[in-house]
Amino acid sequence: MNSIGENCNDLKSRYDACFNAWFSEKFLKGHTDDSVCKPLFLSYQKCVQEALTLHKIDVIDLKTNHINGTEFDKPTKSNEDNSSKKEAES
Amino acid sequence: MKIWTSEHIFNHPWETVVQAAWRKYPNPMNTAVIGTDVVERDIKDGVLHSHRIVSSQWHFPKWVEKIIGVPKVVYASERSTVDAEGRQMTLKTTNVTFGTFLSVDEVLQYAPHPKDPAKTLLKQQATVSVEGVPLCRYMEDALTKNISFNANRGRQGLEWVINKINTEVKEIDHLLSQTKKSLDGITDTARKSMDELSASTQKIHF
Repeated sequence: MNSIGENCNDLKSRYDACFNAWFSEKFLKGHTDDSVCKPLFLSYQKCVQEALTLHKIDVIDLKTNHINGTEFDKPTKSNEDNSSKKEAES
Repeated sequence: MKIWTSEHIFNHPWETVVQAAWRKYPNPMNTAVIGTDVVERDIKDGVLHSHRIVSSQWHFPKWVEKIIGVPKVVYASERSTVDAEGRQMTLKTTNVTFGTFLSVDEVLQYAPHPKDPAKTLLKQQATVSVEGVPLCRYMEDALTKNISFNANRGRQGLEWVINKINTEVKEIDHLLSQTKKSLDGITDTARKSMDELSASTQKIHF
């Protein structure tokens, strides 16, 4: 799947491959240490954040403007609070 | 405001379905999505939190396009949580493009089927709201129909990805067994050579 920034496609596909393997082999088996893909994530992020700016998408703005709950799922308040306090990873 | 809900059962275990959910795009049934980007991801209390920007090309009826104007690419913000221990994945998506007068909020929840843990139950809900433009209600109806149609395509798309992953797993298994066979072959050859070597060494000694 492509990235919003054409020049990020290569970095994205390398990160995605790492994440998919980590998700199947580690996370679903109860291991929550995600440091193995961190270097790839950071270089992909550097690229994608620049592309978002170019497309005038403000990620921080999106956090305050998100769905709150549905009939079958009420998000826990603490999760919402944490995510709105957290700064964008770059 | 229109609310649309639906449920679907996948005949695959939760672990398989959620792996496929991350790899849902691209798929041939659902070609509207042209890009996905993770913009934040971390683990809190064992739960994986992700924030993705989803880029897609929407196809509206012509009269809707005339009223609201449809850009080439529409962006949506998707927040998700995966709780591996509690076996639950929730994705919430809201549109970024179109701002305040049109909002499409979608929630998908994947959990093991309560009566059959080998199956996965998908609960899906979409809320469509159009405000402050002509023909609001008609537009909501048209968009809701669109969502219902796309949801069906989305499930077919996910089934397609699950099949692809299962085939990949089979191919890897096949590759591994082939590798094992050829390694066994090498070991056999090596053993034979060693036997021959020791036999010839013995000959030399005697």
